[in-house]
This record gives sequence, C-alpha cells and structure tokens, in this order.
Amino acid sequence: MDQFIIEKIKQVKKGDQSAFAEVVSFYQNKIFQHCYRMLGNKHEAEDIAQEAFIRAYINIDSFDEKRKFSTWLYRIATNLTIDRIRKRKPDYYLDAEVKGTEGLDMYSQLASTERLPGEEVESRELQRYIQHEISQLPAKYRSIIMLRYLEEFSLQEISEILDVPLGTVKTRIHRGREALRKRLRHV
Amino acid sequence: MSCNKDYLNLMHIYLDGDISREDESRLRRHLEDCESCQKHFHELNRTITLMCSAERVEAPEGFTENVMENLPSEKKTVKYRR
Repeated sequence: MDQFIIEKIKQVKKGDQSAFAEVVSFYQNKIFQHCYRMLGNKHEAEDIAQEAFIRAYINIDSFDEKRKFSTWLYRIATNLTIDRIRKRKPDYYLDAEVKGTEGLDMYSQLASTERLPGEEVESRELQRYIQHEISQLPAKYRSIIMLRYLEEFSLQEISEILDVPLGTVKTRIHRGREALRKRLRHV
Repeated sequence: MSCNKDYLNLMHIYLDGDISREDESRLRRHLEDCESCQKHFHELNRTITLMCSAERVEAPEGFTENVMENLPSEKKTVKYRR
C-alpha cells in the first residue's frame, strides 16, 4: 500500500490533481479520527482535517519522498489541531470538552433508535468512555498516547511527527500512561 | 516508595520495548515478590488494552470531494502550462 501512495504522490507532484483524491480517500478516516480525538468535536475535526489535506497539497513539493508520507501528513494535522486548541477561548475549551462526551450518558444511548443487542451497547459505551478519558488528558500527552496506541506509530516516528526529542516522547508517554491508568483503573 | 519509583520506571521502559535483559529479570523477580507493583503493572497493561479499544470514527460522507473542491485552482493548470 505504501507503494501505491508513493506513486500517487509522484503524480500529484507532476501536477495531476486528481491523483490527490486517492491520497485523501486513503487517509481520510485516519486523519479525521486523529483530529476528532485531539479536538473532541466532529465539526472542528472535519474543518481541521480538510485544512490538513489542503495544506499537504499546497506544500507537496516540500515533501521529501524518501520519508514516510503518513508521518508528514500527521505532522501537518497535529500542528493544526494544536493551533486550534491554543486559539480556543478558555470557556469554549471547557464547552468543547463537554461536547466531546456527547452520547456518553445513558439516556441518549437508550434513546438511540438503532437496536443493538445488550452486549454491543455496553461495549460501544465503554469505547466512548475510553475515548472520553483519553480526551481529558492534556494535549501534549494525548497526542502521543493516540499516535502510539491508536495509530500505532513507533516512538521514533512520533518524535518526527511532533518534532520533539525522543527522550521527551518517552517521558510524556510514561506520564500519559500513568494518568490514564488512574482514570481507567476502575473500569 | 523509593523502591517503587525505580521499578515503576522499569515498567515503563519495559512497555516501550527498551528494557535490557538484566533489568527485565530484575523487574520480574520484583513483581513476584511485590504485590503492589504487580497490581500497578497489571493496571498499566490493562490500560493499554483498553486504550486500543477506544471508539473509532469515520470521516463524514463527501469528505474527499470537499477537499478536492477546495484545493487552490492555480495548480490545476500546471499540466497545461508545460
């Protein structure tokens, strides 16, 4: 699959805009999900994820083909989400965190028209709960924890994506794991 | 508590896959004896398992089309300018 992306990037660099559609389509779920997890709000996540792809397109000539495209793309997306978080007003930030928990409460789950077997509802609730707990971590821990455990990047790749030294990535992942352990130990 | 800190650190080094063979057996021996570290280690491992099962979401419908519509148009002409 990497080869497929490399080919498409080459075509985009040559000016074939339509090849970029395949790149977007290939990464859209991952990048949207990453933005959603960073921001806790689907509308914002959509805005930022779109912006990330547009920036990637505009700056495609600066992408070094010897490197991994996904690392480069995640870097753009992560920086945009961090910018957005910084620009939020404090009250908006709190509000957004609450919005991120949409669907968490039992009643909205029960009101859902979808009919699901009991066990499945339980596990979906658990998944949301875990997502919620991750979203409560400070952004610098959250980004690393997500990149490591949900996007499965290596620590070295995370260091490249976030442009922080490997040692810092390790310290933060240790702290992030400890913080989440405290939040999830009663699950 | 000071013993704990040393072993907690080893647990994280282990979880990052960076632990030396020597430290790994030191950690294992300690875990056999120390109930509270054992519990801590178990909780960390469980946290990782839980994290991996966080909610998955998909991009909204029409996402790719929206991106394509919003790309700057000047690049579209590149291939014709050659």
